[in-house]
Amino acid sequence: MIDIEKFNKILKRVEKPARYIGLEKNSIKKNLKDMEVKFAFAFPDIYEVGMSHLGLHILYNLINEEEEIACERVFAPWVDMEKEMIREGIPLFTLESREPVKNFDFLGFTLQYEMSYTNVINMLHLSGIPILSKERSLEDPFVIAGGPCVYNPEPLADIIDFFVIGEGEEVTLEILNRYKDFKKSGKDKRDFLKEVSKLEGIYVPSFYQVSYNEDGTIKDMIPIIEEAPKTIKKRIIKDLNKVYFPEKLIVPYIEIVHDRIPLEIFRGCTRGCRFCQAGIIYRPVREKSILKLLELADNLVKNTGYEDISLTSLSSCDYSQLKLLVSELINRYEEKKVGISLPSLRLDSFSLDILKEIEKVRKTGLTFAPEAGSQRLRDVINKGVTEEDLTTAVSYAFKEGWSNIKLYFMIGLPTETDEDVLGIKNLGYKVKDIFFNQPKEKRKGNLKITLSASCFVPKPFTPFQWVGQNSIDEFNRKINLLKDNIKDRKITFNYHDPRLSYLEAILARGDRRLGKTLIKAWEKGCKFDGWSELFDYDKWIEAFYETKVQGDFYALRERDLEEILPWDFIDSGVSKEYLIKEYKKAKAQELTRDCRLGCTGCGINKSFSGGVCN
Amino acid sequence: MNLRIKFTKKNYLRYISHHDLMRLFKRAFRRADIPIKYSEGFNPQPRLSIANPLALGIASCSEYMDIELQERMSEHVFMDRVNEELPDDIKILEVKYIENTKSLPSLIRWGFYEIEFKAKNLKEVEELKKLIKNWLKEDEILMKKVKRKGNKVIEKELNIRKLIGNVVVKDKDIIDSDIKKDVNCIVLNCLLKAGDKGNLNPMDFMLSMDKYLNLDIDWDTVDIVRLALFIEEDGKIKLPIY
Repeated sequence: MIDIEKFNKILKRVEKPARYIGLEKNSIKKNLKDMEVKFAFAFPDIYEVGMSHLGLHILYNLINEEEEIACERVFAPWVDMEKEMIREGIPLFTLESREPVKNFDFLGFTLQYEMSYTNVINMLHLSGIPILSKERSLEDPFVIAGGPCVYNPEPLADIIDFFVIGEGEEVTLEILNRYKDFKKSGKDKRDFLKEVSKLEGIYVPSFYQVSYNEDGTIKDMIPIIEEAPKTIKKRIIKDLNKVYFPEKLIVPYIEIVHDRIPLEIFRGCTRGCRFCQAGIIYRPVREKSILKLLELADNLVKNTGYEDISLTSLSSCDYSQLKLLVSELINRYEEKKVGISLPSLRLDSFSLDILKEIEKVRKTGLTFAPEAGSQRLRDVINKGVTEEDLTTAVSYAFKEGWSNIKLYFMIGLPTETDEDVLGIKNLGYKVKDIFFNQPKEKRKGNLKITLSASCFVPKPFTPFQWVGQNSIDEFNRKINLLKDNIKDRKITFNYHDPRLSYLEAILARGDRRLGKTLIKAWEKGCKFDGWSELFDYDKWIEAFYETKVQGDFYALRERDLEEILPWDFIDSGVSKEYLIKEYKKAKAQELTRDCRLGCTGCGINKSFSGGVCN
Repeated sequence: MNLRIKFTKKNYLRYISHHDLMRLFKRAFRRADIPIKYSEGFNPQPRLSIANPLALGIASCSEYMDIELQERMSEHVFMDRVNEELPDDIKILEVKYIENTKSLPSLIRWGFYEIEFKAKNLKEVEELKKLIKNWLKEDEILMKKVKRKGNKVIEKELNIRKLIGNVVVKDKDIIDSDIKKDVNCIVLNCLLKAGDKGNLNPMDFMLSMDKYLNLDIDWDTVDIVRLALFIEEDGKIKLPIY
């Protein structure tokens, strides 16, 4: 345990000390001395962000169900806490036992977004664990990682001992059980890595060698030991009705980002938007049955006392029996004043009908994501939403009393012209006209339209994995084009920092040579890069320069279809041929149907069984 | 049906805010299946009012809150069921049905605190007793208060003398709270105004005392516990549950 007197002292000096105290309802504290395996689950961001992540709650409870294994949580301390910890010599510790992370057998990171990578390094450093995998001994924990970002694990290849690709519920226990045997065997670190590399979904980067062509592209990637497979196949859970889902969730004391029950209704998405990585890597679609969901909801409400249930998934309105589920939940919990919320809405009246039922009389803001401003570009990205859908939905919303509308877009999508960019403005103005075309006596509320634009980041395992990103200058030019043209006090225009999106693009499609750049950026003080108040672009640029890595090579370059991509060795279940076909269809502005309406041949049903495809 | 509740807020849970505490109780009541009354309207909220917000970092042996129930339940059943759902450091000590419908926060007048600290310029307890005695003879004790109104920062000087009641420096061996004390610390009790008719945060009291008496307090060592809250009813000062 860390020095409690010092801990008590620094709690008085920091902002939001409750981030660090643990002790929440449903948190699990075991006696670490009695444990065979100690697992520290790390989320490389602050408590409020990490505690909002469903995967943490699932794995935390799943691991703790094992009698001889303890799972404890650790988050990135905010900068004020970090300063005090360093001053008092307190190493990074877990919330449950306040035990130094270094004393655990595993330190498992979940990687949800690329801009948290410097926090991973920082947390290793604060734990007193060597940053490079090769410099760690058996005294140190095994540092492992999972989550969506590990579909391209290469930028962290030198830092993480092994990656878990795909859904972690089953494979995590397989790893921990093998570790029990390994511990008794007296073998060394490498032996354990060899052992786990035999498990499906496990990638041990040190067992592979990458060589490069003269132009900097990858020549090949070969396993250097016999046991390591040539391709790593992602793990999926076949039947979501049988997979573990916790009946209890830790209830935080302080307000977190998503402060409600996350009820996962299905995994995967059938829509096939071409920019969307989640839509590919979480295939196939697997729904939970209504009966299962009601049973889970009952337990979670009883055990947490939360006032809201959020129906989560990539596209919740696609759940096949959504209406029934929603009305059943409302019936059960209306009296207890437990609300139901639906985070992702589609632009159709069906969604709004359900929303109307949920919200009864209260009208909060409505958010839609047309993603692109023109029909042409929406066809390129296969967003399957027409302008008519938007006008119908918005007219309906205004009629029903909503007056606060948010629209999300991306700029810099492939083939985008200035006309497409200005389409964002045009949509905003059209929404405004719809409002004011209503007879005066029928207008409800005070109209507020927010147009929000993020900068497109091409991601691995999408049909756009080959495209070059817009340069920062180009992004800024397009942003200014919109800024200069949107002149209406009813319409607010927000946009993301293109510099951050540029770095995200580099890390998303980077290779192992970026490891040294990441470490250099961290040495210069980069951390919490996703937090605008701490993001320091200049330091990153220095880091690229000093490590002789060209950011543009990764972010801006259009790849040849023949090129070996850093993540090609991972099998997501969706074939590369399918992605190429979709890429070509995108350029031709051809749509691909929702695969609930008929298989589109992505390949997932060949490599995996389970889900709606079979 | 109004129920008045006395509860503690100790140890690490002193670090959760007033809002966090309200949320914690709402969720504990729901888990415990307490038939609490909700407000009408679009966003129904449980009818619950906490007597006097406790600043972050201050512990308490006696906090109070009033709640409204839809139906009467026995005090014991209520206490057992809710305590089962509360963390160790927040526990209900006493409950009582009350007739008076006046809101609890509006009745609060005084808070009574135990404050432990170390100060560089202070060697003897006797010395502090004298200093405080003289200090409290003054008619005017000024404190700077910074208020934010939108983007404007307004600084105001406030005379806090009338907000300070009795201040007693404790002799080493008599301490009221059950929270363990560092033997090298000075412990004092003070009665400070609380509630909407004048309120002095004990931390502000300490800052003023430090400034006026030039004590050079070591802020890392300051530990504040609220021992009691007092209300005024029918012109009399009483405990909220009596």
